[in-house]
Amino acid sequence: MSANIYPMERMIVEFVATILCFVLVRFMIKPYNLTRKGSYLGLPLGFIFLGLSYAFAAIVYSPLSFGPELLWLPLLTRTFAFVFIAMTYFFSSRNSRKSQLFGEITISLLTIALAILLLLVFVAPDFSYPSYTHVNVYFRFFNVICLSYVAVYTIRSHARNPDPKTIWIPFGFVFLAISQYSLLFWYIDSSFSAFVGSLITRFAGLAIFLFVAYRSFYGSDKKDG
Amino acid sequence: MAQTKRMDKMIKKIPRRDILKIYGDLLSVLRSEARNEIIVLTRVQVRINVPFDRLKNYIKELKELGLIEDEMSLKLTEKGKQYLEEYEKILDFMKRMGFIYEYRERISGT
Repeated sequence: MSANIYPMERMIVEFVATILCFVLVRFMIKPYNLTRKGSYLGLPLGFIFLGLSYAFAAIVYSPLSFGPELLWLPLLTRTFAFVFIAMTYFFSSRNSRKSQLFGEITISLLTIALAILLLLVFVAPDFSYPSYTHVNVYFRFFNVICLSYVAVYTIRSHARNPDPKTIWIPFGFVFLAISQYSLLFWYIDSSFSAFVGSLITRFAGLAIFLFVAYRSFYGSDKKDG
Repeated sequence: MAQTKRMDKMIKKIPRRDILKIYGDLLSVLRSEARNEIIVLTRVQVRINVPFDRLKNYIKELKELGLIEDEMSLKLTEKGKQYLEEYEKILDFMKRMGFIYEYRERISGT
């Protein structure tokens, strides 16, 4: 696995992705502020963890040398980020008090699970590196499933109420899913084009989220559609 | 930007669950009812779909927050208009993100 090709460029790319994610968190927290539904908390949490995963990746791929345990940080935080986002969509359409409570419990349990896993990686280092490459493939595959679920959910939401404004977000999630899928190829056969493709689709996805947020809060077409 | 930050701060000060949605929906109904000469509270009650005593409490709270004023009839203040604008932006964002917001759809459908 050629993780350290173009370390400086990779570090810059991860750093820019981190900034984009943290800018997005500012917008993603607003549905929770409005509704106070715990399940919507998964959206900003998802983007916080996604940002953190890119920040950790920037550190991992920097020319400075760190222990192999650090490789787990971006992997775990990214997977949990996508799980948080998928959970938000899963519980958002369930309006009963019981479902809302279940959603809040799930989000809390996920946070605890992530904390325990991260502790495991650092407290029990023997657990970490030997199985990393295999686990990485499974986690990426799981990420693709989570993102595909959200993409299908948003496409169905758009199909139910067709509106030109709601067509962008499914593309955002589809791009993120393709990005994870490309990374799978990169890990399996070290295809450089898959690696570059994953970075391009990642930025395309994040750019769509920014575009949607910008149009909602600063755009002039709020009343159209 | 400054207006958005002000509204964010105000939103954070209001602690109760779902109350922001109710305030936003109520302001939205009051704005549309303001086109009539007199705002009939029972009509507002039907559109907002809350018991009358609770509606009166919400209106009292909106007045205390400075979002509406009561001169001849109930009227949105400048602060109330800003709140409603921010509320509609967040609803628009939620819609674009693919979330379904049933309560709002029920009101606009009446």
